[in-house]
Amino acid sequence: MKIFVKVFASLRKKYPSVSDLNPLEMEIDKGTTLAQLIARLNFNQEEVKIILVNGLRASVDDIINEESSIISLFPAVGGG
Amino acid sequence: MEFGYMNKWLKVNLTLKEFKDFSISEDILRQFVGGKGIAVHLLWKYVSKLEEKGINVKDFDALSSENMLIFATGPVTGTRSPNSGRHHVMALKSPLTGSIGSGNSGGRWGAKLKFAGYDGIVVIGKAENPVYISIIDGSVEIHDATKLWGKNSVETSSHLRNKHDKKRAGVSCIGPAAENLVPLAVIMNEEHRATGRTGLGAVMASKNLKAIIVEGNNKPIIAKPDEFDLKVKEHVEKLKEHHTTAESLPNYGTAILVNIINQNGMLPTRNWQTGVNPEAEKISGETLTEEYLINKHPCWGCVVACGRKTKVDKGNYKITYTEGPEYESIWALGGSTAINDMGAVIRANHYCDIFGMDTISVGSSIAAAMELNEKGMIPEEDLQGIDLRFGNADAVVELTWMAAFRQGLGFWIGEGSRKMCQHYGAPDLSMSVKGLEMPAYDPRGAKGIGLNYATGNRGGCHVTGYTIAAEILGDVDRFTTEGKAELVKIFQDFTSIVNSSVNCLFLTFALGLDEYAEMICPVTGWDVDSDELLTIGERITNLERMIINKFGITGKDDTLPKRLLEEKMPEGPSKGQTVDLDTMKEEYYELRGWVNGIPSEEKIIELGLK
Ligand code: SF4
Repeated sequence: MKIFVKVFASLRKKYPSVSDLNPLEMEIDKGTTLAQLIARLNFNQEEVKIILVNGLRASVDDIINEESSIISLFPAVGGG
Repeated sequence: MEFGYMNKWLKVNLTLKEFKDFSISEDILRQFVGGKGIAVHLLWKYVSKLEEKGINVKDFDALSSENMLIFATGPVTGTRSPNSGRHHVMALKSPLTGSIGSGNSGGRWGAKLKFAGYDGIVVIGKAENPVYISIIDGSVEIHDATKLWGKNSVETSSHLRNKHDKKRAGVSCIGPAAENLVPLAVIMNEEHRATGRTGLGAVMASKNLKAIIVEGNNKPIIAKPDEFDLKVKEHVEKLKEHHTTAESLPNYGTAILVNIINQNGMLPTRNWQTGVNPEAEKISGETLTEEYLINKHPCWGCVVACGRKTKVDKGNYKITYTEGPEYESIWALGGSTAINDMGAVIRANHYCDIFGMDTISVGSSIAAAMELNEKGMIPEEDLQGIDLRFGNADAVVELTWMAAFRQGLGFWIGEGSRKMCQHYGAPDLSMSVKGLEMPAYDPRGAKGIGLNYATGNRGGCHVTGYTIAAEILGDVDRFTTEGKAELVKIFQDFTSIVNSSVNCLFLTFALGLDEYAEMICPVTGWDVDSDELLTIGERITNLERMIINKFGITGKDDTLPKRLLEEKMPEGPSKGQTVDLDTMKEEYYELRGWVNGIPSEEKIIELGLK
């Protein structure tokens, strides 16, 4: 099934052209977990600190269920 | 008090052109630490004094010569402990909100004040003509500043450094906006660092005080230098190990939040009509870094360096050098107004810096004006030809400088959104709490921050209890109201300690209360633990609350704009959400020992505030 991946901050070093306006379109198998997706994207699990699926918080063990889901990946970030 | 502090405060009466030194007893220091804590203590004493004189503090005008303005550092300020160049400023009353005036600034002024020999400065009265104060190596002078009046913050700072031949001196000053008594004017430090909120610049201007320049070679004496060195090393290591303080803030600045807050569907857009901004990427930290960043710019003693040196070399708003913008400014000037134009944001931010205005309040007030206009509430003649539609970058840039000089519709922008929206007959469109424009997180998407905005003593503010660290950047469920009262209370009391230490709040991404005890103990020689610190924080929050209670500010004012309580978030990941404030507030008052927003007698006694 098709999903869209957006990466942010230092995670863009690996994917410089991927942004909110230009997500990465990917084909994944049903039952793929976020951990598997992160590995497929060549990230270490530790560098991805915040995962949102369609804007809602998810954890690495969650399975991506919905077609056309937007997965947003962030390292630890902060500001104020 | 032998250690950590300079043991000297300066009291200046500008009406009498008099100044004298005074000191704070160790007992009081132990109860309030420094910075904001001591300022609140002094303001409380001042309230009693005014009341004794028969002055009703409730009706008291924030721009009258009686208002008290306090500049304060703490025991950690100006030491080798990381990020300790900051200082806190307070006024008894804010001209913008009518609540207490309070703001914190980066730069180097805080550290330099201590090197000049002082922990803090209390200013009352009003000089006959414009003056500035110099404190160089313990020597205090009041100088004529008639020729400086009208100069912007960059001109003023460089003029004073040159005149005193002190290239690295700290300069706190006001710009033209404050001179024009714009209620949302700031005090600028080191050109681009602002004591940003609640209109403290206007208070300074109402005293005819243009600037304070500080420099010197004094150093606070550390009680236990070996232990201190060890802890400094450990803390710096922790900051270097945490991705947020080691990578994210230095590489992208605070603007890195634009995307993540927007991905959560809580980046206030079109004056908070939605939390989804489809073009947020254009004003993101990533875009800022890639296309506009010249270099980082740390405050004094900072190992994180979130500050930005920037330029714009394309489009309508070219500029070869400025600093910032940070997250809140980008959002207020560029996101809430839906312009999504980084060049315009940088220009408007630059105007706010040089003319001296609060970027959050200015941007938010312009966004409110845009919604007023959208709803046909602003008469044609008041617009004077300005196309005030959401998304018009030129209107934002133009209204920003017009606010500083009280021109046309800029007059109402400068008055802040509360007064402006009242004036145009739509008070609910002001997205403010207690008259202070809220910052860049829609609490419909993170309930704790809503409770924090509502209960903040100075008004709608994030940096008095930054629950976003837990609700969005951490693992706490953002939509639930459960447990949020306690979360807010802890964050608020901890922040009171940070602002009293005084150092940078961003340390708290990597350092907790235990580490704050590890800083304060070896510096002062005290034996305080994190529990005692949290109690001190609670004491400060409560005493500040007791002051605003004197102004008639109580539970009725601990609320949020109607939009957040009643209008469901229309779209995006936070769709359908409102803020159930009452439930959280009840629990919060219970935990605080407050009745209707007023500390109970038992609480006052428990905290030793009787
Ligand atoms: S982290 Fe940023 S605000 Fe804090 S001290 Fe460093 S440069 Fe200043």
